[in-house]
Amino acid sequence: MRRFELAEPQTLEEACALLNDDGDAKALAGGTALLTLIKHGIFIPKTLVNLKKIGGMSGIDYDRQRGLRIGALTSIYDVESSPLVCQYYPWLAEACHLVANIRIRNMATIGGNLAHGDYQSDPPTALVALDASVDLTRGTGTRQIKLSEFLLGSYETALQPGELLSALVVPPPDSWRGTYIKFTTGSSEERPCAGIAALLRMEQGICRDLRLVVGAVSPRPVRMHHAEEFARGKEISEAVLQTIGAEASRVVDPIDDLRGSASYKRQLVGVLVRRALAAVIH
Amino acid sequence: MKINISTTLNDRTLEVSVYPNQTLLEFLRDDLCLKGSVEGCGVGVCGSCTVLVDNRPVSSCLMLATDAAGKRITTIEGLGRNGALDPVQEAFLKHQAFQCGYCTPGMIMAVKGLLLNNPHPTESQARDYLSGNLCRCGTYVEVLAAVQELAGR
Ligand SMILES: Cc1cc2nc3c(=O)[nH]c(=O)nc-3n(C[C@H](O)[C@H](O)[C@H](O)COP(=O)(O)OP(=O)(O)OC[C@H]3O[C@@H](n4cnc5c(N)ncnc54)[C@H](O)[C@@H]3O)c2cc1C
Repeated sequence: MRRFELAEPQTLEEACALLNDDGDAKALAGGTALLTLIKHGIFIPKTLVNLKKIGGMSGIDYDRQRGLRIGALTSIYDVESSPLVCQYYPWLAEACHLVANIRIRNMATIGGNLAHGDYQSDPPTALVALDASVDLTRGTGTRQIKLSEFLLGSYETALQPGELLSALVVPPPDSWRGTYIKFTTGSSEERPCAGIAALLRMEQGICRDLRLVVGAVSPRPVRMHHAEEFARGKEISEAVLQTIGAEASRVVDPIDDLRGSASYKRQLVGVLVRRALAAVIH
Repeated sequence: MKINISTTLNDRTLEVSVYPNQTLLEFLRDDLCLKGSVEGCGVGVCGSCTVLVDNRPVSSCLMLATDAAGKRITTIEGLGRNGALDPVQEAFLKHQAFQCGYCTPGMIMAVKGLLLNNPHPTESQARDYLSGNLCRCGTYVEVLAAVQELAGR
């Protein structure tokens, strides 16, 4: 692989200082995205700041009032296999389980997945539906912003120079029931062509609340606010499913890429949204 | 400048120095002459460089050697004991779960990882876990037969 300097700080403060002092330095977590870019010659590194020797940046906590807190260096496999995540947020466990293959999930970190900002990802879609936030730190002081505001576009995030993502915070699951479905046009372990997260709150057969997010088709996960509003107070009949699917299909602005043309993805979104909602209801 | 690390490789503790940009796969093959782990795609897709880190499969082509510090690495060379093959290797032989053999060390390490994690996988669990280890000869049916035998023990 191309040569680079490697800094191996022991603390978050040190890591932020290194990144702040050297504008060419880049953080390295699981390396699954960054080393691939380096190998392909897309990113030419000078100094990498290895985060993996920093203590206390991984692990999962759950509190009924505050919800879930996941350290940025937690591997995607540790998220999907956490009993807390499986019990309270099964659709998040599923979105993590559907990432890549077992080797990548053992190496890749959840913080790296979000900070990379690749639109063809699974966890961000489920996390935006859950209204998750991220903690960003410069070593001293931390700011918390909504994930939906952190993800700005394809490979673009709200991270400032010298800033690191330290943790992911997910509100309590309350009475949501949900699902995440991934659709691939290549082999089963491929990146998503489309991903749908649907969370539903039902009371006596009536939809009290809906969160519907379409991921991987446009530069960032998109919440279907109109469809959500339309569903509230209604029984989710076949006709309502059709309307919501059509609305989602109309609203998305898909990117043409290797995994499908824009018109194919638009069609697909309508079908997948109906499937996702039907799966939650039944 | 090289970085000094201490790691455990196939049950032996090693004090070694590695280059910052050296992958674990390059370190195993080029520095230690352990040629069992092989490079296929080089980007985490094919699985032929699979090794275990603390008993979990990873792609050694995407792991920096320096990150082996303090970890327990197991490669295909570390499976047999005193000249005897590992049960996974025996099962692969019995079911002829290979043809050209290029993917085989990685496939065996992935199966080892599966069984360490879940000693009695169902067929669908085995398919799910092994889906990212590619075999271009198409020996998947034989690999799954080997796994089913091991799972039944
Ligand atoms: C073969 C393969 C298949 C894949 N398939 C899928 C898939 O199906 N679905 C899916 O969702 N994803 C998929 N991915 C992407 C994978 O999820 C990401 O590569 C991974 O999550 C990135 O995490 P990492 O820890 O390896 O990040 P790294 O590669 O270490 O870093 C990625 C980027 O994030 C930055 N970064 C990392 N951590 C932090 C931090 N704490 N704070 C600030 N910046 C940080 C780095 O500077 C870099 O720019 C696949 C990847 C591979 C290699």
